[in-house]
Amino acid sequence: MEEEEDQQKLPDLVKELVHRLLSQNLPSNSPPLNPNSPEFRNSLRYALRILSSRLTPSVAPDAAAIADSIKRHLATNARSADALSFADLFSKFASKAQSVNNKWAVIYLLKIISEDRNKTAAVATTTPLLPNLAFSEPASNKGWSNGVLLVSKDPENRRDVAFREFVDLVKEENEVSEEVIVTDVLYACQGVDGRFVKFESESNRYVIPDSVRVPRATRSMVHNLCELGVLFRKVSGYISQSMDRFPNEDVGTVGQAFCSALQDELSEYYKLLAVLEAQASNPIPLVSESASSENYLSLRRLAVWLAEPMVKMRLMADLVEKCRVLRGGAMAGAIHLHAQHGDPLVHEFMRRLLQRVCSSLFEMVRRWVLEGELEDIFAEFFIVGQPVKAESLWREGYSLHHAMLPLFIPPSLAQRILRTGKSINFLRVCCEDRGWADAATEVITDNEVTARRGGFGYGETDTLEFLVDKAAKRIDKHLLDVIFTRYKFKEHCLAIKQYLLLGQGDFVQYLMDIVGPELSEPANTISSFKLSGLLETAIRASNAQYDDPDILDRLRVKMMPHESGDRGWDVFSLEYDARVPLDTVFTESVMARYLRIFNFLWKLRRVEHALTGAWKTMKPNCITSNSFTRLEHAVKMQLVSTLRRCQVLWVEINHFISNLQYYIMFEVLEISWSNFLAEMEVAKDLDDLLAAHEKYLHSIVEKSLLGDLSQSLYKSLLVIFDLILRFRSRADRLYEGIHELQARMTESSLSSRDQKKTRSRKQLNDKTAEQGSWIVDGRKALTQRAGEFLRNMGQDLGAIAKEYSSLQEDFISQLPVQQHVDLKFLFFRLDFNEFYRRLCPSM
Amino acid sequence: MPREIITLQVGQCGNQIGMEFWKQLCLEHGISKDGILEDFATQGGDRKDVFFYQADDQHYIPRALLIDLEPRVINGIQNSDYRNLYNHENIFVSDHGGGAGNNWASGYDQGQHVEEEIMDMIDREADGSDSLEGFVLCHSIAGGTGSGMGSYLLETLNDRYSKKLVQTYSVFPNQMETSDVVVQPYNSLLTLKRLTLNADCVVVLDNTALNRIAVERLHLSNPTFAQTNSLVSTVMSASTTTLRYPGYMNNDLVGLLASLIPTPRCHFLMTGYTPLTVERQANVIRKTTVLDVMRRLLQAKNIMVSSYARTKEASQAKYISILNIIQGEVDPTQVHESLQRIRERKLVNFIEWGPASIQVALSRKSPYVQTAHRVSGLMLASHTSIRHLFSKTLSQYEKLRKKQAFIDAYRKFPMFADNDLSEFDESRDIIESLVDEYKACESPDYIKWGMKDPNNMTTGESSATGSLDPNQ
Repeated sequence: MEEEEDQQKLPDLVKELVHRLLSQNLPSNSPPLNPNSPEFRNSLRYALRILSSRLTPSVAPDAAAIADSIKRHLATNARSADALSFADLFSKFASKAQSVNNKWAVIYLLKIISEDRNKTAAVATTTPLLPNLAFSEPASNKGWSNGVLLVSKDPENRRDVAFREFVDLVKEENEVSEEVIVTDVLYACQGVDGRFVKFESESNRYVIPDSVRVPRATRSMVHNLCELGVLFRKVSGYISQSMDRFPNEDVGTVGQAFCSALQDELSEYYKLLAVLEAQASNPIPLVSESASSENYLSLRRLAVWLAEPMVKMRLMADLVEKCRVLRGGAMAGAIHLHAQHGDPLVHEFMRRLLQRVCSSLFEMVRRWVLEGELEDIFAEFFIVGQPVKAESLWREGYSLHHAMLPLFIPPSLAQRILRTGKSINFLRVCCEDRGWADAATEVITDNEVTARRGGFGYGETDTLEFLVDKAAKRIDKHLLDVIFTRYKFKEHCLAIKQYLLLGQGDFVQYLMDIVGPELSEPANTISSFKLSGLLETAIRASNAQYDDPDILDRLRVKMMPHESGDRGWDVFSLEYDARVPLDTVFTESVMARYLRIFNFLWKLRRVEHALTGAWKTMKPNCITSNSFTRLEHAVKMQLVSTLRRCQVLWVEINHFISNLQYYIMFEVLEISWSNFLAEMEVAKDLDDLLAAHEKYLHSIVEKSLLGDLSQSLYKSLLVIFDLILRFRSRADRLYEGIHELQARMTESSLSSRDQKKTRSRKQLNDKTAEQGSWIVDGRKALTQRAGEFLRNMGQDLGAIAKEYSSLQEDFISQLPVQQHVDLKFLFFRLDFNEFYRRLCPSM
Repeated sequence: MPREIITLQVGQCGNQIGMEFWKQLCLEHGISKDGILEDFATQGGDRKDVFFYQADDQHYIPRALLIDLEPRVINGIQNSDYRNLYNHENIFVSDHGGGAGNNWASGYDQGQHVEEEIMDMIDREADGSDSLEGFVLCHSIAGGTGSGMGSYLLETLNDRYSKKLVQTYSVFPNQMETSDVVVQPYNSLLTLKRLTLNADCVVVLDNTALNRIAVERLHLSNPTFAQTNSLVSTVMSASTTTLRYPGYMNNDLVGLLASLIPTPRCHFLMTGYTPLTVERQANVIRKTTVLDVMRRLLQAKNIMVSSYARTKEASQAKYISILNIIQGEVDPTQVHESLQRIRERKLVNFIEWGPASIQVALSRKSPYVQTAHRVSGLMLASHTSIRHLFSKTLSQYEKLRKKQAFIDAYRKFPMFADNDLSEFDESRDIIESLVDEYKACESPDYIKWGMKDPNNMTTGESSATGSLDPNQ
């Protein structure tokens, strides 16, 4: 109704306006304007035609641009003041005239008028507006150059005619109408072939067959629009494919979530298509026809409608393409990569999608972190478990599956997640501990966690981190508690230090005492059963007996595999049975390293033992020079010199060995141990503890010269050890001989003296009876034999001394070259009084 | 099966320092005066069975023999709080109770007469131990019983237990003040011979130095025997800590002594201790780091042997070996630094004829004894300057001998019967050659000593000639 009224009013308004314009321009002497005059009617019709014209000016509808051009025009005509005032006026107009919608049109109008006026000025006419409405001068004569006006000049309304002709032309050219194509496109968009638009599988796109005649423009437009259909086919194909395969494992829960999220998006899309289809049934009006309905659907309109779905569909198709072969975390990660997009539309879309996709992943993380359950039937999680023995559960039982680790979970966080669940499983399997559940419950009931629980999902990495952190802290703490208190980790480390690293001196010494004779036998004749018995005795006899029975129970004798010719010394060692769960720390390879250290220390001990043994045979009150007074001077000299040589060599060797031991004790064992203790204190989780222990063991191995880099040093050390054992047996021989000599000397002097009364007379008498033949030999023979014996021994000792000093020199000269480990202390100790420096200034 | 050590305390002085030693051990191990383990002593880690054994009723009993020729000191022990600690079967007091009258010969002779009884006791103790490591003899060298009877016991032990170690804690007389025992030089000389020939290790406790330390370091104007004895017991207990608190090294006596005594004859050890305190003395608390302790141990004022060396001789004196036993909470890393500092400052003068270094043993401290200081240290060292102590004894002996003073008292006994004083001469020769050997150790040519110099040889031979049989 209103519209009709408006339509009624409009002609009147126009009439009035024309009247005003004409009467304004009327010459002063003419009669008043007659509204029924043909001139007037002509002018009115003209005005109407102008107004109804649909032609637009050839300028961009931009107010600012027009204003700018006006300003420029003014400025170039040297009217800068006017330009300024125009700019001012324009800005006021732009900001204040809110009610004016088409500002640019107003400005443009003003500009045209202004230009008109300038042009007409030359013709000296005073009519400013609608000059062709003036009666005096017909517009056609004036040669207007404005295209706008040229068209509208046509008195016969050629435009309508042209349009009609155009439509006819179009109809003639096209076999199919646009409506049909639109419908077809809509079909295509749902992946269905239309009447004309068909899917062409070779080129994988929807096309209108060439046989159907349509304009090129339409064809390409259809082609563009139908891309949506192609994408749709891809997406929905993927969905149905995945759904079909389910519950096949290569889809997985993440895949399912992804499909369902896609499905949801598609149903949104279906809704849109349904609306569009409804609109498509409206006929498309011709340009000239006044639209019977606004809601018709042309291809162009369709293009607008489908722009957004196209973006989404393209994304989805892209994702589908990328995710076709991916599963689980990898899929989530791939999708996450696409979410990094600046377009908020895309970003939001991806977020929505990811939240759906990742929910199962996050649930897995939650269960893993809180309950240690690896609920991952489809192997989608970034943590994989494998069945292993309890001892390697920690190291090998679970690992990160990097391909499945979505990028939005940083690797450090993933490590923490891995460790937390691993800790729970470790507690459950290896420690048979139930306490972890309490720790986990604490985390769940923790207020903060509950408060933030709502946001647990994709995009809430903070929350995830928070939860993991909380859980990890509790579990790690609990695990360390269990390891330290229930499984006495520290005590066991100490026990290993005391027994395998020979820290419990009295025990080691006693073991050496009683096992020593046994170990001198060939290795294959030794019964490890007997050795175990001796070990037991050594424990009972030393302070080790006060140790925890559980610890002592774990200490065993171990015979290493032996070859023919090996002595017991070569194969004997101790081992410590760490048992579950501590065998996670003390794995076989770790124990093998302890074994190497033990062997070295045991060898060192054996040498030390041999040296103190030698000292005991040489000990001060054993040889009293007064027994040898009857020897010839030369022989006596020999005796003194041989003894002294033996002693001095002993001093040198003992110095070397005891300082090596001091080095091992202070610089290696004790320092590594105290570092280890300090690190044990600050360890936050089992991995820290393992690392600390590894460092401890490594430093001992390296510093004890057992590392790969010090092999040559170690070898020369072993050669020195062998030599020392040889020295010991030589020294024993020497002293045995001397004692024998001493005894015979006494006898001979006694027998020659008619057996005077002495304190030890009785004993000596016995001996005399036994060895009467010696006495018969007489003093001279005795002296001769003694001389010979001493000469031989002296030579032997000399050879050993020579060999020893060259070996030791070799060893010492190698010390400063060792870059990888600090042996300064050893060198410093060995040469404390600069004896070797004096001996060999180059050192 | 510990390496048991049997302690023989002989004579007045020996029993006094022995008693202090056992008091200290009881304190450190948490053993009550009656030999019962205190309730608080549960921390373990210590080895009691080296010095104690357990009776059937779990009493801890010292592996100790209390021997004297006069009853005074032993009666004192038997009337003290500690009367129930000792095994009464292990107490030997001479029947006549007359003592040895400060006469070495008397002590030696009486020793000979009661040999069987005492050896029975020793054998019983030895049989009662699983792996006897050796004997410790506490005595003084100046009196009669400790020196004479002690000497006899040394010879007997050497004979019967030749494979075992014999260590002595020998108190040397105070030579600064005139002694009431005028024959001190005789007794000392004769004992020194046995210490040289029949002991494996002699820890020299010089009364002169102990008194000096008591006066100078502890600011006691008139130190009593009890006070100097407490110094001795501190040293004795400290020197056995590594045996009683087993660690990585030095867990037995032989291991402890072997490195200390590289040259068998030079087995006289000096001791130093820091920080020094005696009972009931308000102590100045000092800073005790490992370096402080090790540095102080090298200072002459803390060493319990007087040095009679003249300046020139003193500068030539050298350490043959050093063992520092450091007790308390010690960071092992400090040891290295301290050793480096000591070498940089050249605080130690070592022998030149062989390699040598300061050995350090870290030992635990008894948790039952509270001390104001965190760390304490004992030094056991073989130092060539100890020869001046022997020289001093020799010169005092020569003075007396020249005058033939007091020889009669000795002639009464079989060893010196028929005016046979060769024992004196032989002893002098042996001590002289000991002094020579220490002197030789100061030179870089020690290795060749005694082999090229004909003079030395003759002395050696002459000394040896008389030594085969004293009765010759």
